[in-house]
Amino acid sequence: MAASPPADRVVHDRPFLTFARRNAIWGYLLVIPAMILLIGLVAYPFFYAIYISFTSRIVGDAGHWIGLDNFRYLSKTASFEKTIRNTITLVVVSDVLKLFFGLGLALILNEQLRARGMFRAFVLLPWAMPGFVAFLVWRLLFTPIGGGINLILSETGIDNSYIDWLGQKSTAMPAVIIATVWRGFPFWCISFLAALQTVPPELYEAAKIDGANAVQRFRSVTLPHLRQVILIVVLLSSIWTANSFENIWLMTQGGPSDATMVFPVLAYFGMQTQRLGEAAAVSVAMVPALLILVFLVTTLIEREDD
Amino acid sequence: MTHISRRRFLGTTTAAAGAAALGSTRLTEMLSAKAAPAVLQEKAKLTYWGGLIFSDDANNLLTDTINQWGEDNNVDTEVVMINQNETNQKVSAAVESGTMPDALDMGLDLQLLLTNTGQLMELDDLYTKIGDAHGGWYASVDAAAKLAGATTGIPFGPSGNLLFSRQDVLEAAGLTPPPATWQDVRDWSKQAQKPPLFGMGLALSNVGDGNLQMSVLQSYGGRIADDAGTTVTLDTPETRTYMEWVTGAFADGLFPPGATTWDGAGDNTAYLAGQAIFIANTGSVHLAAAEDDPELDANTNFAALPAGPVMQVSPINPNVRAIPTSTEDPDTAKALIEFLANKDFMEQYLNVAIYGPALNEYASFAIFQEPVHAGLLNLVEHGTAPGAPDVYNTAYADFSANFIVPKMVQRVVVDGLSVDDAIKEAQEQGQLIYDKYK
Amino acid sequence: MSALPTTPGRKFDWRNLWLYLILAVVFLIIAFPIYWMLTISLKIPRDIYRTPSLWPTNVTGDNYRELIDEKGFLTNIKNSLIVAGTVTIVSVIISSFAAYSIVRFKYRFKGLLGRLILFAYLTPVSLLFIPLSIIVARLHLGNSLLGLVVVYLTFSIPLSTWLLSGYFRGVPADLEEQALVDGSGRLGALFRILLPLSAPGLVAVAIFTFTGAWNELLLALIFITSEDKRTVPLALNYLITGDVFLWGPIMAGAVLSSLPVIILYFMAQRFMVTGMTAGSVKG
Repeated sequence: MAASPPADRVVHDRPFLTFARRNAIWGYLLVIPAMILLIGLVAYPFFYAIYISFTSRIVGDAGHWIGLDNFRYLSKTASFEKTIRNTITLVVVSDVLKLFFGLGLALILNEQLRARGMFRAFVLLPWAMPGFVAFLVWRLLFTPIGGGINLILSETGIDNSYIDWLGQKSTAMPAVIIATVWRGFPFWCISFLAALQTVPPELYEAAKIDGANAVQRFRSVTLPHLRQVILIVVLLSSIWTANSFENIWLMTQGGPSDATMVFPVLAYFGMQTQRLGEAAAVSVAMVPALLILVFLVTTLIEREDD
Repeated sequence: MTHISRRRFLGTTTAAAGAAALGSTRLTEMLSAKAAPAVLQEKAKLTYWGGLIFSDDANNLLTDTINQWGEDNNVDTEVVMINQNETNQKVSAAVESGTMPDALDMGLDLQLLLTNTGQLMELDDLYTKIGDAHGGWYASVDAAAKLAGATTGIPFGPSGNLLFSRQDVLEAAGLTPPPATWQDVRDWSKQAQKPPLFGMGLALSNVGDGNLQMSVLQSYGGRIADDAGTTVTLDTPETRTYMEWVTGAFADGLFPPGATTWDGAGDNTAYLAGQAIFIANTGSVHLAAAEDDPELDANTNFAALPAGPVMQVSPINPNVRAIPTSTEDPDTAKALIEFLANKDFMEQYLNVAIYGPALNEYASFAIFQEPVHAGLLNLVEHGTAPGAPDVYNTAYADFSANFIVPKMVQRVVVDGLSVDDAIKEAQEQGQLIYDKYK
Repeated sequence: MSALPTTPGRKFDWRNLWLYLILAVVFLIIAFPIYWMLTISLKIPRDIYRTPSLWPTNVTGDNYRELIDEKGFLTNIKNSLIVAGTVTIVSVIISSFAAYSIVRFKYRFKGLLGRLILFAYLTPVSLLFIPLSIIVARLHLGNSLLGLVVVYLTFSIPLSTWLLSGYFRGVPADLEEQALVDGSGRLGALFRILLPLSAPGLVAVAIFTFTGAWNELLLALIFITSEDKRTVPLALNYLITGDVFLWGPIMAGAVLSSLPVIILYFMAQRFMVTGMTAGSVKG
């Protein structure tokens, strides 16, 4: 146990070679448990799955290397193109909506209102309940006959027909997005609320003295402070949404006519026939897009840091 | 507490990384030796995965019976009831990781896949032995049992869809159920439905129920593929006739809203909610209605599926018990399966489970006088083999799992495609699947 | 911790009226699905199907009774508590070490490690479960709560490490240097200085991890088989038998399973906001 300060904080005026080395050893030691887990339980399975996607593996038979055949087959299926489009739509539209509602609500909850604390906790409810449960409830709400939403419409006399929210091409994706946003926006709201706490009140005062109105203050003071947290939340939430299975599976199973088909559901269908190579190819096909997303956002974050 | 679990945890994860990186069998052996303490036991061990069905009584009876058998025969039994919706995933993971049970229940599609990759034991002797002991197998069950290419499963409870009709509603409209043809179903629906009560509670979605449309298509003379089971033959006038029947009915508003995205419970829920006159169901709705809504149950007529213009297609699914090749003690597993075919147990079991008789001996049970079970008995006597008139092979199973036929219907009723274009697309997509198995 | 003083206004500020109106609408949007879940959990099966209504008729506690007495739901809650609790503790400890290392130590490949951790987080679970099941089986951890704990760490560790390193970065390093000079050693600096100062961040990360593990379904489906080892989402999923949904008990289970997490969130709400602050801002 060296009683010396960490190397990066110290001017190197003594022979520090041993210290730096010891420091590095400590660094490795501390990060090793996490690394072992990630290599053993994420990296290895990940590369293994990529390997499988290039083979004809089915359950109980290792198969053999078939190159890009699985991907070629996948690209020929009618569902594939729609799946790409739907996944992008789902991620982008729900991100935009979550940003809008999350930020709006965070700004309101940052004001000095009565029962603010209670409401801050209340907002977290959709996020706190199991996703499985949340999306089952939404399916019940969207049920054409006797579902909550159509009941409200008929009891208030707005619409008496049995609107098939999840069964029509025009409404299926919006309905799924609504449920996804409902469940996901609390995370955005609370993250923004947290970031808003870090804005020094003096900055607002200064802007006020300079004669900036509310909108200008938001643009010149609030937004710059939020930029980084927005990037991070967009990144995390996009990954969650792109990988989310329960929302679609429980509400539409990708239907009607693939109007809500997304990658995780397509992969699940692939598993039904036990063709592991094919199912892995579906998931692998999505990885480049996620990599680009992560690369973009981490680069942006790093640029902000400098 | 925290400390111990952490250390143990670190130990296991280190091992995980090691095993993963090296794929070392020695390490695996080491670990297994550690995990299973070397307590020598004479007692045989047996794990059984039963299919969880909608009857607590049936599930409990199966569990208790197997455990009792274990006690009587000095076998340590562990019975786990697996939710059938997840059987495929669980079995995939279990095969890949070598953790299959000693025996399990499954349906035909899974049996076919596992037989092809040599995961299931051939049980010809046992099959013959049980058949001989209980008056012989029903012909339809026998045909279905051999579809997998080898006798790898012992049928215990053939099931299939029956047509449920609302007797009260139809009679009020001057109609007497059951309808004889699918055209009747459509015509009667139009005549008798009063929204929110709709006529045709048939799923058009990407679930197992949606594939009932394959049977309807076949009853209209359509075929999925040729007799060799290699070339898809969807693009025919017969398919067009079927498509006009189904899309016309949809355009007339005879399907309850939601039918294009129903999950497996969609038709059940619609029927129990009084939103459908007709549904096709294996019987779980009857159990649910008998318990929660006896009035509805009493007003229900149970019959075989109607016929199309060309034939009546009413496939049976021979639910089987199978033994994975990975079991260490096949004899014990065989002994259990043989025991489970005994008359006393099966009589009690069929009283609470909705299955038809697999063996002739069971037909004499009193329960087969009851309407639903009588319908299942009729199904076993007159039903068609799975997939028939098509060839039931892996390509056919893959085709079904991709819901090509229900999707063909969705393309018209959801996306507004023309019938011709939808058929053309289905033909191409179907052939793409069949080509994988050439 | 909050930068803004929370002064409960003695007078009602009429200029904020429109804000209250918006909050009222948001309240309804959040509350309605939750209300729907509650009403269905209080209905008898026949009413759920036959007479859908905005208000519950024939209120009953039968669904709850069935769930607890017949389905043994308390066992599931216990299992979930064990799994989620263990995952949280293990994950916070390992992630604290890793985050401490990444933020305060200098060594080769450090930047790569940091990014690797984030990449690990984006891997779709659907891609991992077959290889994972092989690993879990080789370790003889199949069908055990410990096995579930191990696989849950795959998603909890990357996120926790990432959030915590953001938080640690916000704590001035001088404080630890002081501890090092005092002879506490590096671990001492972590445990006596850095972690206590990061308490809100730790609470936020812990709650995050706990919720994630508490709610997880897909992996539990694959790895848990025995009835007495099922977690809460799994038990609820088993109420869908074949093609029948037991809506009443499912919704009763939904209510019961949401309660512990909701209580947790209410208790830690203040920490959540402050804890997220540094974690996400400085990410």
